Amino acid sequence: MKLDVTEAGAGVYPDSDSIPEPGVTGQKLMTHFDNLRFGTIALALTAAWMAGACGSDEKAGTDAASSSEGAPPTGDGTSGDNPTPLEGLFLPNGDAPSATLHRLTQSELTHSLQDLLGADVPMGELEPDVRVGGFSSIGASSVAVSPAGVGLHELQVLAATGHVVADEARVRAQLACVPENTADGECLTRLLAQFGRRAFRRPLTDAELQRFTGLATSIGGAEGSNVLTGVRYALAAILQSPSFVYRVELGEPSSADGGLLKYTDFEMASRLAAMFWDSVPDDELLDVAAAGSLATADDVRLQAERLIGDPKAQRSIAGFTRELFELSHLEEAQKDTTLFPTWRESLKEAMREELERRVLDMVFVRKEDFLSLYDDRQTFVNDDLANFYGLPAPGQPGFHPVEFAPESRRAGLLGAGAILAGHGLPQRNSPTARGKFVSEMVLCRSIPPPPNNVPPLPPQAGPEVTMRERLALHRQSAVCASCHSMMDPIGFGMEDFDSVGLHRTMEGTSPVDATGTLEGPGLDGSAFNGLAELGAALRRQPVLGPCLVSKVYAEALGRGALKLDSTSIGELAAGFVASQHRLDELLVTLVTSDSFRFVEPKG
Amino acid sequence: MLASGVAVAVPLPRLAGMLNGNGTAYAQGAPLPVRFGTWFFGNGIIPDRWVPSSTGQGDAWQLSEQLAPLADVKPWLSVVTGLGIKVPNYSPHASHPCAALTGAQTGGATQVRLPSIDQLIAPAIAGGTAYPTGIHAALSDQTGATTLGLAVSYRGPSAANPPTYNPVALYQALLGFTSSGTPAAVDPELSFRQSVLDAVAEDANALKRRLGAEDQVRLDHHLEGLNELQGRITRLAAPISTAPVPNPDELYPARGLDGSISRQRAQAFADLLVFAMAADLTRVFTFMFTCPASHGNYADCGLENSSFHEDYGHRLSRFGASDATRGFNTGVKYAMSNLADLLTRMKDVPDVTGTLLDNSCVYVTSCVSESQTHSGVDFPLLIAGKAGGRLKSDQHVRLLDENVSKVPFTLLTALGGGAEAFGEAEGRVTSGIAELLA
Repeated sequence: MKLDVTEAGAGVYPDSDSIPEPGVTGQKLMTHFDNLRFGTIALALTAAWMAGACGSDEKAGTDAASSSEGAPPTGDGTSGDNPTPLEGLFLPNGDAPSATLHRLTQSELTHSLQDLLGADVPMGELEPDVRVGGFSSIGASSVAVSPAGVGLHELQVLAATGHVVADEARVRAQLACVPENTADGECLTRLLAQFGRRAFRRPLTDAELQRFTGLATSIGGAEGSNVLTGVRYALAAILQSPSFVYRVELGEPSSADGGLLKYTDFEMASRLAAMFWDSVPDDELLDVAAAGSLATADDVRLQAERLIGDPKAQRSIAGFTRELFELSHLEEAQKDTTLFPTWRESLKEAMREELERRVLDMVFVRKEDFLSLYDDRQTFVNDDLANFYGLPAPGQPGFHPVEFAPESRRAGLLGAGAILAGHGLPQRNSPTARGKFVSEMVLCRSIPPPPNNVPPLPPQAGPEVTMRERLALHRQSAVCASCHSMMDPIGFGMEDFDSVGLHRTMEGTSPVDATGTLEGPGLDGSAFNGLAELGAALRRQPVLGPCLVSKVYAEALGRGALKLDSTSIGELAAGFVASQHRLDELLVTLVTSDSFRFVEPKG
Repeated sequence: MLASGVAVAVPLPRLAGMLNGNGTAYAQGAPLPVRFGTWFFGNGIIPDRWVPSSTGQGDAWQLSEQLAPLADVKPWLSVVTGLGIKVPNYSPHASHPCAALTGAQTGGATQVRLPSIDQLIAPAIAGGTAYPTGIHAALSDQTGATTLGLAVSYRGPSAANPPTYNPVALYQALLGFTSSGTPAAVDPELSFRQSVLDAVAEDANALKRRLGAEDQVRLDHHLEGLNELQGRITRLAAPISTAPVPNPDELYPARGLDGSISRQRAQAFADLLVFAMAADLTRVFTFMFTCPASHGNYADCGLENSSFHEDYGHRLSRFGASDATRGFNTGVKYAMSNLADLLTRMKDVPDVTGTLLDNSCVYVTSCVSESQTHSGVDFPLLIAGKAGGRLKSDQHVRLLDENVSKVPFTLLTALGGGAEAFGEAEGRVTSGIAELLA
């Protein structure tokens, strides 16, 4: 793809960053980048948002210059070549991506060390993730490790391996055998071969095994040292090797599959373990791979069903939930406690857990329509959160199920404190930030960054001017309106909840107006008042399911969904409908699909 | 809040007797070290209150209102004004800082398109230091509206040098290079760690052969990190005798949480960076005071607990625009006070010859000029230090409409980068600013 970024027109961007955009944690990218959700084709992205107004980047993906005239928003995906289940879903153009190394995310690294060395391994500071399009797995396809990150990783690995060898009971529990001394070559070889197979997600080569056993015997035999010290450093070498730090899934030529590369059985084991457990495979999965039994879609389904039935699958779904619903925004949210005296930092953790529990309960316990989360009223609270929400406190430790009353204004997943407080400023609401979140993560709208030289908002102050009125002024500028119309009218429907997520009836001296609309191409124009009606309106949008499917797809493949994925995503979306929107079934179907099992060769 | 100029633990400088007769190089001929740092603050300035009223050198120019906190180091400053960002502003707070740091447009999902200036200069000056690619620290971990990301140092696309927010971690790392005087037995584990790294590098090289070009670059970055760690462990095996490493918990117990904006936290980092440079453990640093368009709050200087970017940068304070403008001005001056704390420490530490600040070059910039409009005109650019006599100082140079890239290009060539150009496309320049060179 040839792109000349200098040809794109500046100044066609709709509006301003007078808009709050809470960012993301870790090695965070600008939030406006987050809607540009395909890490491996950054240049295409650059051209896409350089190319012009909201929603017009579909064309820009391949030809920045040709669409740089700043066409009015078209919303996207309505050009006709998407199959029907994808109505309203924007998928940008882009070349078929080939396989790249996947740097373990913080979550994958943490869980891998826990699964390899014990749940109680000490965990310290890790190299931050880079999120692209909201997902660290997409960033993981392109990021390098920094020199500081190499140092942090060494510290972490030495701490974890030191913890294990400090206690023979732990060695016995985690490793294949306990070597007597450095002459115990049989045990050392067995131990390192087994550990190495899980860590590298494939059997060690002879050269590797010799390298690591050599380290164990030479270090274990040094003056004043012992065999367990040797084992510790051999394990540390395995865990510092790029074959552990990166998932190496490159595929192999497969003559039967039209020139595509097919992931090997061990690579599939690696992919499945990452997908369902955020971790390394277990021995059973590797044995299945060794037996050549991950080669067909049916083979994969069998293991996928086993993996998703394991409690470890909850952490992967919880991780997806945190990224899809932008919980990093909550994590770094600042609140002014002089204006919101009941706010406490500890509520962030409770709100995170509440949101995760709602999702996990739906996926693993209720096993019902995932999209019903958007307008249901069942949640989980502990005493602190119950008190904050004004519900009766459970009166016992931990989280307990509760249901908001039908007359409560708090309804649906968007009414969770994590969403409302996460997308609010320290002292006031931001309908734009809330609307942007819904627009991008729930409805898959693509919103470009604000333009150059935004005129300042007319100065105003005082409790008599509502945020709605201020933003109305902002939208008087056409250049501002084209993007703000995709965000503000959604956020307005959440205005009866304040910046920390508490219900309110007044904004300053004005009664709150919580009416909003779902407007724009691909949306039905529904008007709504408050969260309950917003949730119901969202469920009527045809794009809701396909959007979720495309997010799951992007996260699983470690790259943004593209137009060339339309057929695959369309099939998955149709299956999602047929399953009554069961997320667990979507995940299993996804990993059995060709998109997950094959990859384009290097161009 | 502590005043600036707190006592700094001074590592023993290398002896002047080690120098040649002119005091311009070591007796063996190795050049004296120069240091380079980038000091970055988000959200820009108010140009009318930033740009000094007159140009010239020495008494001919005076600090502006927003630069006034730098009075103690005025003799070491070059204020460059009038320059503009030439890279199109496709993404406010990302295009501009990328241009000022890399000379190129933002890389979007890969953050940058080219390496940042500190990483171009590092290979020319790093020598055999323990941190050849620098120490990278930051005050605020709050993201911002449309920011570049939480880093200002990049080895290339998708290869950030993420900063540390934890001064205690940096303190502990530096502690390992020092001894209290009595030579301790060398820790045998250091050689074990080195053997491990040898094995890891072998593994990495074996893997590299199987990869495509882009992944090979990623693995090269990884190998460079492994190599750097090897070198660091070698340094750890021969600890040097110094004054105590400045301990943040003793000196600044009330500095606040990691990631928060407080002058005491910045001072803790300033002490440690100065120590690391004076002890020649690194010659390169970056310090991100706040990220581009930071939402961090400036409560430490008396502003509201609200988003500095929103309520002050964009003047959306609940108390109205004029209050917001006052607060924004306070915030810029506060940032410059934090910068002054670092530069003053550098001025007060003796180096092989002169002071650390004499032998350093600190490049100071931001993500916008005028914050409300995301302007790239009259961009904030400061240079502090004389780079071992290679740079002029105590001057205000005003060059209307010149390319911002000329400043980093000038520094790159002055510090031995030997480059013919800096940046690409509209950001590319092939000439520097003669007025800055001694």
